[in-house]
Amino acid sequence: MIQHFPVLAVMLLFLGAFCVEIFGSNNAGIRNTIAMLAATIALVLIYALIKPVMIDGEIISYWMGNWAPVSGYAIGIGYEVDALSLFFALLVVTTFWLSGVYSMSYMAKDHHLGHYYTLYLMLSGSVLGLVMTGDIFNMFVMIEIMTFASVALTAFRNENEGTLEAGFKYLVIGSMGSSFTLTGIALIYGQCHTLNMAQISAQLCTGMTPTTIMAFALIVAGFGVKSYIVPFHTPAADAYMVAPTSVSMIFSGMVNKAGVYGMIRVLYIIFRAMDKSSVQMLVVIFGAVTMFIGVTMALAQHDFKRLLAFHSISQIGYVITAIGLGTALGITGGLFHAMNHTLFKGLLFLTAGAVLYATGTTNLDKLGGLSKKMPKTCICFLIGAFSISGLPPFNGFVSKWLVYQATYTKAVETGNFVYAIVTVVALIVSVMTLASFIKVTQAVFFGQLPAELKKTQEVPASMLVPMYLMSALCVLCGIFYPIVNKYLLHPATEATLNVTNYIDKMMGDGYAAMMGAQNIEVAPVQFSYWNPIVWLILFVIIFVAAFLVITGSKSSRGQVLNPGVKYDPKYATFFSGEEELFSQVGGSDLFWGFKTDWKGYYKVLEGLHSGIVTDYAGWTVMATAIITVCMFIFMR
Amino acid sequence: MILVNYIASIILIVLGLYTVCTKKNLIKVVLGLGIVDYGVNMLIVSLGFNDGGTAPIYQMSDLLNGVAPSFFVDPVPQALTLTSIVIGACVDAMALSLVIMIYRKYKSINADDVRRLHG
Repeated sequence: MIQHFPVLAVMLLFLGAFCVEIFGSNNAGIRNTIAMLAATIALVLIYALIKPVMIDGEIISYWMGNWAPVSGYAIGIGYEVDALSLFFALLVVTTFWLSGVYSMSYMAKDHHLGHYYTLYLMLSGSVLGLVMTGDIFNMFVMIEIMTFASVALTAFRNENEGTLEAGFKYLVIGSMGSSFTLTGIALIYGQCHTLNMAQISAQLCTGMTPTTIMAFALIVAGFGVKSYIVPFHTPAADAYMVAPTSVSMIFSGMVNKAGVYGMIRVLYIIFRAMDKSSVQMLVVIFGAVTMFIGVTMALAQHDFKRLLAFHSISQIGYVITAIGLGTALGITGGLFHAMNHTLFKGLLFLTAGAVLYATGTTNLDKLGGLSKKMPKTCICFLIGAFSISGLPPFNGFVSKWLVYQATYTKAVETGNFVYAIVTVVALIVSVMTLASFIKVTQAVFFGQLPAELKKTQEVPASMLVPMYLMSALCVLCGIFYPIVNKYLLHPATEATLNVTNYIDKMMGDGYAAMMGAQNIEVAPVQFSYWNPIVWLILFVIIFVAAFLVITGSKSSRGQVLNPGVKYDPKYATFFSGEEELFSQVGGSDLFWGFKTDWKGYYKVLEGLHSGIVTDYAGWTVMATAIITVCMFIFMR
Repeated sequence: MILVNYIASIILIVLGLYTVCTKKNLIKVVLGLGIVDYGVNMLIVSLGFNDGGTAPIYQMSDLLNGVAPSFFVDPVPQALTLTSIVIGACVDAMALSLVIMIYRKYKSINADDVRRLHG
């Protein structure tokens, strides 16, 4: 009975997508009922799997049409749900269900809502299928459906500024990524003559050939595109900004998590490449660069949603860094951060959507003083902002702490200096995240209320309820982290590090042992963040880093202005623009000092984010080439 | 299993990527994506090909009686290619329709003009 649940959930969502288009394109009641019914049943079916998979440790497998393997060869398409798949599936169902509830009133004023719900259900179904399938080509098909639905939803409000452009960029970069993945899959098929992930994993126990190394590099690059690590991140910033907010939440909550899931599946289970320290280093460096560039770009933004988009990229950097470490602690931290990112970034996007719904703009320079008009939204926003900045009782603190601890432990264990630098970068990025959320809070909710926003009202209840739920989850996951660890993170970590169960369930007992795969015992992760000595060491690190940054830079602080330099009134006083007595302290001006100090850096970055699609495609190809060359050097 | 097919498909993929990265005309960018797809499709379908192979219709006894595995052409890559062709056609159609709408809105299909979202 229970083995049918995963495939039923996926099928129901796709069936719902067609039914919405056929029966509900003119009738709002039928449309909403079908969409929410499909989403709710899928939610219940996936939650019902928690007990057997997470607690009893079963792995659920399902062969389409009962085409089970014949004499050690998998022929049919299989679904396989282990703890890792279920962990991501839970994130996916939670996200799309809450997004569905939210879009009931958020999207109510739009036209062609039949298309909206069709695409919404197809996107949900494809991501759910992607995280639960056991067949690598089926995974590719799901990626493609996901890309299509994402592009169409990005360009859904196509009369708005920039939507078409963002959709086009997303399509070009996304389908380049899919083509890389498909090439990799073709090469793997040529080598192993199977498409089943468990069987590929078992066959690659004997070692890598040049063909499989090439395939590995291409598939990693393909999933890098889907999880938007840095050279591939540009379409994400545009798409998250212009898509309807309920869709932005889906994007950051589950579409890029699908990329992260693919990375974990490919790195740890299919190719089992993470025992090589050079591969670990490559992934960690990509992650560290992602989080740093993401957060610095976020500080320079003037649009609420674009700022959140760059934060999304930056937080994915944390996840990639942590899973790149290859230790149980790192994987636990990475998975926990992925989960928390889904919760708090979803919450923040929902509040941004509420602001857009109530005021009609997300431009930070035009907003202000909304805390009196929208107090409930403001409180939800503050909870989300505290969580993402990693303040103690909230969930972001625990997972970020695990990431610091994992990178630092790795540095101590391996004696490699780079990991220590990554720890410091992670800390600095966290500080900058807090800084940019202070800027948003000031620009949107505090400060003076512009005259044209006097009539703003709080959003309706069906938009507030998802926000409350998300806020509650943020707080609960932060306080009751041992329970989360015991029932969700530990089984998922164990599933990541142990391939034999995964292979045996699909291919029959003893298959993995025959091919030479071995089991690893994973001890439960100890949460030791209350250890005062660790705290102290980290504070010393932060202090020294801050001291070096402040004293080491040849800043112009305290120097007399060169009379030859043109006087720029924008940077003259802390509160720029004092022409009017009660002028709003614009959020954009809060960190002008930082931005002027880093003028050169920002000039380069803004030049790179040129907005020209061919430039972005060039980056994608370049990064793929770099990954391929590195893999050939490392894995030979 | 033919070397020239592999070389040709790699050339197609590289040409397609070159087109996407260097041509400023959005329609040419879409064509580049198409060429990458064709290259990948050719690679996949070549993987299953056997020179002189027949259709994969056989009985289990044929295999057990020692008929060489290269006797027939592998059908799986052909199924994959069909799926991939369908997906590729959809990508092209959707991208071109976006280009049409971009032209209506921006009055240009030069990539240098279509950059209102940047920085």
